[in-house]
Amino acid sequence: MKRVCAVLLMLAAAVVLAQADIPIKVTLTMMVAGDQNMVDFFQYEIAPQFEKLYPNVKVKVVGTGPGDAGSQQIIQQLQLEKDSGKDKWAIDLVVIHEAGTIWAIERGLIRPYTDFLTARRLVTMKTAEVALGVKVDGYVMPMFHSQTAIAYNPRFVKDPPRSYAELVEWVKKNPKKFGYNGIKGGMSGVSFVFGWVYWKSKNPEILMNGPFDEKYTEDWPQIYAELKEFNKYVVLTAGNAGTLDALNRGEIWMGPVWVDMFYTWIREGRMDPNIRLILPEPGMPGQPMYFAIPTKAANADYALKLIEFVSSPSIHAKYIVDKFNWYPAIGVEYVSPHLGKEVFERLYRDIKETDLLKFGKRMPIADYRTRMLEAYERWVEK
Amino acid sequence: MRRRREVLVGFLLILPALLVLAVLYIYPLFLSMYMSFTVSNRFSLANYGKVFDIYWRDVVYSVMISLITTFATLVLSVLISGYLRFKNWRFLDLMYKLPLFIPFLIVGHAMRVFLAPHGTLNNLLTRILRIEELPGLSRSWIGLVWAFVWIMTPYATLIVLGAFKSLDSAYIEAAQNLGANKVKIVLDVLLPMCRPSIMVAFILTFVRTISSLTIPIMVGPASPNMITVSMMFRVNYFNDWGTANALGVVSYLIVMVFAIYYLKFMAAERGGIKA
Repeated sequence: MKRVCAVLLMLAAAVVLAQADIPIKVTLTMMVAGDQNMVDFFQYEIAPQFEKLYPNVKVKVVGTGPGDAGSQQIIQQLQLEKDSGKDKWAIDLVVIHEAGTIWAIERGLIRPYTDFLTARRLVTMKTAEVALGVKVDGYVMPMFHSQTAIAYNPRFVKDPPRSYAELVEWVKKNPKKFGYNGIKGGMSGVSFVFGWVYWKSKNPEILMNGPFDEKYTEDWPQIYAELKEFNKYVVLTAGNAGTLDALNRGEIWMGPVWVDMFYTWIREGRMDPNIRLILPEPGMPGQPMYFAIPTKAANADYALKLIEFVSSPSIHAKYIVDKFNWYPAIGVEYVSPHLGKEVFERLYRDIKETDLLKFGKRMPIADYRTRMLEAYERWVEK
Repeated sequence: MRRRREVLVGFLLILPALLVLAVLYIYPLFLSMYMSFTVSNRFSLANYGKVFDIYWRDVVYSVMISLITTFATLVLSVLISGYLRFKNWRFLDLMYKLPLFIPFLIVGHAMRVFLAPHGTLNNLLTRILRIEELPGLSRSWIGLVWAFVWIMTPYATLIVLGAFKSLDSAYIEAAQNLGANKVKIVLDVLLPMCRPSIMVAFILTFVRTISSLTIPIMVGPASPNMITVSMMFRVNYFNDWGTANALGVVSYLIVMVFAIYYLKFMAAERGGIKA
């Protein structure tokens, strides 16, 4: 009995001592742009795991909301930290969109760090190097990739249009049954508009990869005039969630959505599981979310560890893909050994990997992006 | 000497309020005016060019929506206040205040679901009227005005009813003795005598409507938009604070028209702002 007690005591001591090997308490503060599911992801899934791994660390997650607006808030916060002139900034890690990343790099708010990141080797997509035509290599590690696609209700749509061209025909036969959220209500609508311009433009590759030149925008008035005509047959919904709501209530039969949001709604029982997805020819843009470390983050070392942790294939498989229905940021081949067959089939049920490679486009480079949005305001909304 | 000390003490007493005013209102006001005239640190009118090129329709639309909302709100609040001035109906007295306690965001979401084509209202109506389908009101200016009126009425009613109730009953009794009915009393006695308070309700409703963001985003149509939505769009999608501030300055000017009118009106009515 005594011996058992002694062993137990020693074990307990070992555990306590092992945990105390780095006695300095650290609060890792991270700001996350994106929908509530992103905040939940870090708060309820990653933070507890990470804190178990590093008991001296406490992870504090602050969400700033979806869309570029969320990134914008993070940039403002970092700018405040910079303007304060302090040596150690209160924010250690940020998760931002492409546009936000560019703004942050321009202002010197984030630092290059991926040289020290093992998981950086696993990234197969080009998004870790270029965002909206700007070189971001070294500054970012993608967290996941999200893709827009067109959701349709098979109850009403037996043979969905497979391309933008077929869609135009379809809406004429089924007026007011296709809905998207314009450009002010969220990125799924923006993405649909970008896809439209890619389809009609003579130089889609240049819009996506640069270089920027006004001459490539010459054919736009015609492109947008056709989009305005198209809009006469469609419904404009209230935001990304508005499109899903309207699809679910049967008000519209088709509409562009974010794939991850769509599957999450289905899983949560907020969405009719019979609704399917299609990625129409010639494709729609998707985008990554990025991990970045602020220039003077007080706990950059632990931030790096957290990024490494989330980006490892097994954690990636368990959370990013299985639990949150995002497309992986690292190569699928590294993630798939850790995935069940049914998970794989769920995520790639409607949109196959080959479809993603072929029709998953990039967002236009920053200058075209700005002009495309303004052109929509000028020529379509008026 | 004593006089000077009194002035000093008085000044010190209002200093905290003045400081708050200066830091939270006056400084941002001038900053936003300054930013609206600068493009990459140089003086420029380009931001205003954009406002008139792309957003003039939004400006007109915002003013129209706000005016319609304000008038509908005033009519409703005068009706409710007129009724409650004469009759003590506890239920109505509680119910009209209810929207005061519900945040704009929740109202926006509720209205979005309530007014949608297959939303609560239409589901109810189609069943009662036995019609196949009705067009929804959300995502249209009517739905937007509906949501606005719903949220703005209680506040306006509080002001108007307060004024009605504080009016000396002698006036009303005198009118009653001369044979005026209740509608006539409201129109000919209460309304003219409470004009200052109604003006306050008018201006507050207008300002609150034109500066609201959540409800236009959630219930309003995709285009045209309220000024606030366009401002948000400029900041979020383009990181363009210049044009956003220019839009802001335009909305100050609109609101200022009413503010100046109000001050003048008060001056004429009560012999000066001091009164």
